[in-house]
Amino acid sequence: MTIRFQRLLLILFSLIFLSSAILLILFNSKKNLVFFFTPSELINSDSTINDVVRIGGFVEKDSIINKGNNSYNFVITDNNNKVLVEYNGLLPDLFKEEQGVVIEGRLKSDFTIHAFTVFAKHDENYMPASIQKQLQKNQYWKKNYK
Amino acid sequence: MISLIGFSGLILSFIFNVIVIVSYYYKINQRFNHIFYLALYCSLFFMCLSFFALMFAYISSDFSNFNVFQNSHSSKPLLYKITGTWGNHEGSMLLWLLIMSLYNVFFSFNITLEDHVRKLTIVFQSFLYLCFSLFVILTSNPFLVNSIDSNEGLGLNPILQDPALAIHPPVLYIGYVGFSLILSLALAGLILNQLDNLWIQVIKRWAMFCWLMLTGGIALGSYWAYYELGWGGWWFWDPVENVSLMPWITGLALVHSLMITKQEQLLKRWVVFLSILCFSLSILGTFLVRSGILTSVHSFAADASRGIFILILFLTITGFSFIIFILKSPHSNKQINLLFINKTSALIINNIVMLIACITILLGTIYPIIIEVLTNKRMSVGAPYYNSTVLPILLPGFLIMSIAPMLSWQSNKLDKIKNYIYILIVTSILTLLITYLTKFNIWGFTGTILGLWIIAASLLSILHNCLKYKFKKFFIYNNALIAHMGVGIMIIGITFSSIFQTKNNFTIQTGEIVNSGQYSLQLKNLKIEEKNNFQELLGIFLLHKKNEFLTTIKSSKRYYYVSKVITTEAGIYHDWFQDFYLVLGNEKNNKWSITIYHNPLVSFIWIGVMIMIFSGMVGIFKR
Repeated sequence: MTIRFQRLLLILFSLIFLSSAILLILFNSKKNLVFFFTPSELINSDSTINDVVRIGGFVEKDSIINKGNNSYNFVITDNNNKVLVEYNGLLPDLFKEEQGVVIEGRLKSDFTIHAFTVFAKHDENYMPASIQKQLQKNQYWKKNYK
Repeated sequence: MISLIGFSGLILSFIFNVIVIVSYYYKINQRFNHIFYLALYCSLFFMCLSFFALMFAYISSDFSNFNVFQNSHSSKPLLYKITGTWGNHEGSMLLWLLIMSLYNVFFSFNITLEDHVRKLTIVFQSFLYLCFSLFVILTSNPFLVNSIDSNEGLGLNPILQDPALAIHPPVLYIGYVGFSLILSLALAGLILNQLDNLWIQVIKRWAMFCWLMLTGGIALGSYWAYYELGWGGWWFWDPVENVSLMPWITGLALVHSLMITKQEQLLKRWVVFLSILCFSLSILGTFLVRSGILTSVHSFAADASRGIFILILFLTITGFSFIIFILKSPHSNKQINLLFINKTSALIINNIVMLIACITILLGTIYPIIIEVLTNKRMSVGAPYYNSTVLPILLPGFLIMSIAPMLSWQSNKLDKIKNYIYILIVTSILTLLITYLTKFNIWGFTGTILGLWIIAASLLSILHNCLKYKFKKFFIYNNALIAHMGVGIMIIGITFSSIFQTKNNFTIQTGEIVNSGQYSLQLKNLKIEEKNNFQELLGIFLLHKKNEFLTTIKSSKRYYYVSKVITTEAGIYHDWFQDFYLVLGNEKNNKWSITIYHNPLVSFIWIGVMIMIFSGMVGIFKR
């Protein structure tokens, strides 16, 4: 093998590898990207049943129902619209009524989500900046959350 | 008072670094040579003064300092008062500066390099120090005076009050920030056109050290996440984890490339490129984390002006470095003789694999930002994306790793290939049999077989070496192979703990027994303990295996008085081959909900990392 041929092979190899990597990325990003909504945005979005979404908002007062055996129902609100969440698992320590929460789950019907994850945050000030902006717009943002 | 001393130290250290740079330009006179080193040591001295002033303010709970007021409380244990120094944005940037300065001084004791290369490296390092020092002084000063007269602070985030997280930042920073010295060395070598053997020998050691520290830091962080977050996992593809992984991967590529450069004097351009890339990615990571652009579980107080400053720093340093790289990069007159079936080409291919993996992670990390800017839609890229892109990309790399020991350095010949092939076939058949008889899972099978191949091939290679050298300098000849065995062990640990993890939810009453497989768990009692700064609800569980008593597991919830936050402390029973991981949930009608994770072979991950670090240390000290 001449050196030139070897180089060609090396370049060819990297190109094949690179393109397969890009294909992999494109293919997977379509499947695995999760959109992030407030309840109002979810209703206006074109998400369909069985889509995986993330919802950020506040847990509505008196809405947490403990069905036993680690199953919970609760409502996430942004003061305009509401989404019902069903969840099976341990709730994080910071999960409280009238506190910010982010969940990820699958849409069961237009207003119901089966959540697989309820996100625990390092501190209660945590809320994605963009969701915060949206909630401030709806005047559902408590100042002391910072 | 103490804030004033600290701030003066910071400013003086800045000034002395300016003197270092200035005196370099008047180097003709021998007297300036003296000043050069003197100024360097003075800058470290004042930096230490500044850092310890802040630490003292934390220990003595001096709430006239705004930073202490915001992040400390007098009822905290002493250890967390000390570590609180770097448990916040400002303090951690001060630690960053201290480490940069320490690297500069330790490097100045180096006697291997020629004098002018060493000096220019120090000058570059001082320049980088000035950049970050300016950042601290202008946007994140830890020595601001508290405008409110207060006797008590707001307290440290309870989740950070943990021994592993106390030492995690310093170790991580020693790695992360250490890449600044690698960048300085690369720039000095480039400008003086001195990328010779000595330079490679020196940069190899420092790069290895930084990379090992980064490895240790990441491992500590992920171990912390494992037992503190109570999610049963140890890696979540969180943006903050990703940004530490990117310099780690390029560092890995750098350390390996330096191996070939030692053997064949080739690929210097590539090495320099990687050196620049490592620190660039470190700064980029800092930017993404500290500017608040990315939302992650690690929330640092975000401030837009900081973000812009770091972005400017990133663009300046990276831009400058790459311009010098393009202008001054050496043209090798010797052709790369790849020959294709040898260690050199295997390493090059592996380098490409690593860089592509790095790019994939970068894309996933910044993709949500791009989408939000372009379409105003928000999205998140979660673990499924990374698992289904990064892992397949890394597969060929691990494959090459498993066959690498049978390749030779210089020739195309395959050494003792038959033995290797036999051993690979035997391990494959064994794994196939075992997986066929138990639960078959394609990823589980692939991971296990790759891990076993790597271990088996490395062991055989060590055996060959032992026959050849008769145990003389055992660690010196075999340390790379031992490190690879560590990787193999780690791969097996990762595979088993993530694929064969089981999770069970129960509700349990005091005295009740629940069964999970052949194990049974009994809630013995619950008690409340008062500690200095928190109250703890302790659940004591008894674990039995087939009626045989194994251990008691304590799982608890803590309520921190100052920050009014509840944290979960998972109870973990470690065994060599499995972990029982128990999280205590909420109570309803005297019934407690609990989650039990059964994580097989998770300890292999930490054992593998320790083996890697150990053999890396041997690699640094070997002649």
